[in-house]
Amino acid sequence: MGGWLLSNLRYLFPNVLYEPTLSFKAGKPEDYPLGISEKWKKTQRVWIVRKADGFYCFWARCTHLGCTPNWFDAENRFKCPCHGSNFNKDGDVIAGPAPKPLWRCAIKRADDGQLLIDKARLENRPGQREQGDFFLTFKSA
Amino acid sequence: MADEKFSVKQYVKKTKLWKSIFRHDFMDTPRTRLQRVFGNVFLHLHPVRTSKDAIRVTYTWGLGGLSFFLFLILTVTGILLMFYYRPASILAYQDIKDLSFAVTLGQLLRNMHRWSAHLMVVVVILHMVRVFLTGAYKPPREYNWVVGVLLLVMTLFLSYTGYLLPWDQLALWAVTVGAQMAANSPLLGNEGPFRLPFITPFNDARFGLIGGTVINDATLIRFYVLHCIAVPFIFCVFVCVHLWRVRKDSFSKQTGEKVDVWPHLVSREFLGTLLTMVILFVWSMVMNAPLEGQANLNVTPNPSKAPWYFLGLQELLVYFDPWIAGVVLPTLIIIGLMAIPYVDINPKGVGYWPKMKWKRLGWLPVWVPEERPFAVTVFMLGVIMWFVLIFIGTYCRGPNWEWYMPGEPWSYRRLTKLTLKNIPNLWGSLILVSYFLFGSPIPKKVKEWLSTKMGSKAPALVSAALHIGLGMVMAVALFVPLLTAADADFPMRSRYTTLFEALGRSINSPVVSWMYHLVQQFGPAVGYAIIIPMVGLIGLCLGGVGIVFAKFKDRLYEALGPIKYAMVIALLLMMTGVLGKIVLRLLFGVKYLISLPVFNFNI
Repeated sequence: MGGWLLSNLRYLFPNVLYEPTLSFKAGKPEDYPLGISEKWKKTQRVWIVRKADGFYCFWARCTHLGCTPNWFDAENRFKCPCHGSNFNKDGDVIAGPAPKPLWRCAIKRADDGQLLIDKARLENRPGQREQGDFFLTFKSA
Repeated sequence: MADEKFSVKQYVKKTKLWKSIFRHDFMDTPRTRLQRVFGNVFLHLHPVRTSKDAIRVTYTWGLGGLSFFLFLILTVTGILLMFYYRPASILAYQDIKDLSFAVTLGQLLRNMHRWSAHLMVVVVILHMVRVFLTGAYKPPREYNWVVGVLLLVMTLFLSYTGYLLPWDQLALWAVTVGAQMAANSPLLGNEGPFRLPFITPFNDARFGLIGGTVINDATLIRFYVLHCIAVPFIFCVFVCVHLWRVRKDSFSKQTGEKVDVWPHLVSREFLGTLLTMVILFVWSMVMNAPLEGQANLNVTPNPSKAPWYFLGLQELLVYFDPWIAGVVLPTLIIIGLMAIPYVDINPKGVGYWPKMKWKRLGWLPVWVPEERPFAVTVFMLGVIMWFVLIFIGTYCRGPNWEWYMPGEPWSYRRLTKLTLKNIPNLWGSLILVSYFLFGSPIPKKVKEWLSTKMGSKAPALVSAALHIGLGMVMAVALFVPLLTAADADFPMRSRYTTLFEALGRSINSPVVSWMYHLVQQFGPAVGYAIIIPMVGLIGLCLGGVGIVFAKFKDRLYEALGPIKYAMVIALLLMMTGVLGKIVLRLLFGVKYLISLPVFNFNI
């Protein structure tokens, strides 16, 4: 009996998933102005941030319960519409119930020079998130 | 022969067909009254005779029966809606649109389904409150109360699974949040505290619930099956048990003469259902069920509000980590409700509404029922708190889930820079521990030992010292870090070095900013000279509240014994603790008392 129930429980966990791919090309880096770009939010759910020395990319998903926050330029914050979490430009939580900073996606240059974003690889720890695959050094000419 | 006219009615009644279906005639005799009830598969849920007072409308308000009737309406309208609905993400929203605009009377059916679901939630909750207030859960009906709580949970779960089906924005984001709560469950959730080592996003509780890692067709079909078949099936089983137990355990009110159920009860039920039907029809004709834009996995509406019955939970999620607000607290509420008949050993108050009276508790005048003051007060406090949270969620929350006064116009451009800070863990633990120590009683034996050792006044003094001490510790442990601790976020994201400065300059911690301005305006000497006595006063007040309840706690402990007492007091303290945390958040800008991010563990 117990075995049968357990096997039924296992049955509910599928082995093959039909889910959208998590990486995409985001165009040429030169096309981005400094600051937060909302260009991909509606289609790929990311913000691409350009700083003076390079790029990083946020996954636009609140670390609280998974809603999509909005960027408010005047206040320099991301704010989530579901439970009111606030994040700053680095993704750190300033207010609201979110327990950890926003996730950053892996970012690199594809062979054709475009930005390549990988939402399957995420990082949000201060120190780690500003380097390696999660920060793309890019100096404007 | 001549005066016997041929009558169709008489003829039909004599046919074999008629006799095979109807076993009795319809004259109003005592015999047929009984026959109607026990000769009918549907009516034989009833006894044939019952006491007059038990079926008085103002005793039960017919709430249990109406819940069942609403379930039947939902089943019928639901079956009809299924004829036009296909559970696939590219079709579902279009099908709902078709139901609203292209199918004759489709909108009416959808409205009726939605509004009767809302009504059912209301009626089931009111039914529970009625059963509680009239003591109808007391022996021998404890088990049926437990079944009733399960039915309430299932009613809410049916509502939850139901509103994903239109595949609109409300649906998607409510399910996103719900599924993410599963991901935050302790041990089994990928993002929950102390997750087991083998748990990943691909095998955690969330994955099982939505059938994948993102919400898509797999989720829709899962919720469709749950909503249309699985949960209603289990619901039916439990309804059978519930109704059967009502018969077996008999009604809670047994006074008054016995009357025939047909027509006395059946007619009342008929009128009740008729009235409900009329209300539902009118409601469905004047008000359409909401349908937001088509689900978009990338964009959340701002603000994103759950249906009213989950807004209390949504508001709770603002103040606590998801594993507490979304998993632990609901579980505790359910367990707490189920435990009520087993920890309530007061046999009084069965079969009538409480009689309220003004009394004094210490120096506090209170309006309480004469016979079950504690039980009724605590239960109603819980119910009222839940509805206050729903009220806040409905009327006081605007864009970005920020606070707006009811009626205040919303602005998406309003500048609201909120700041929340954590109390350092050690101070926070001190607050939490001393808060829960408030629940400790002084058992009789300890009191006796004290009075033999140190004189007759010792127990009262010890109790006073204990409570005042705890109150003081709590006040000090809250204010000392607020006034002195360094801001842990400095210089990463905070311009200020101390918590006092950071919160004092913020707009969402009125108490701290008041203290901060005091110190700024009048200088530290005067400022602290005002603040320190205030802190003492708060400590004294907290202790005072403890002293007021001290005697009562001790009596409760003697009456319930250690295990039941611990359960009752822990649940009670957690309930008022929720209130405390809300106060800390809204007045002090405190986010966590204890924060261990490594384990995803925050309180």
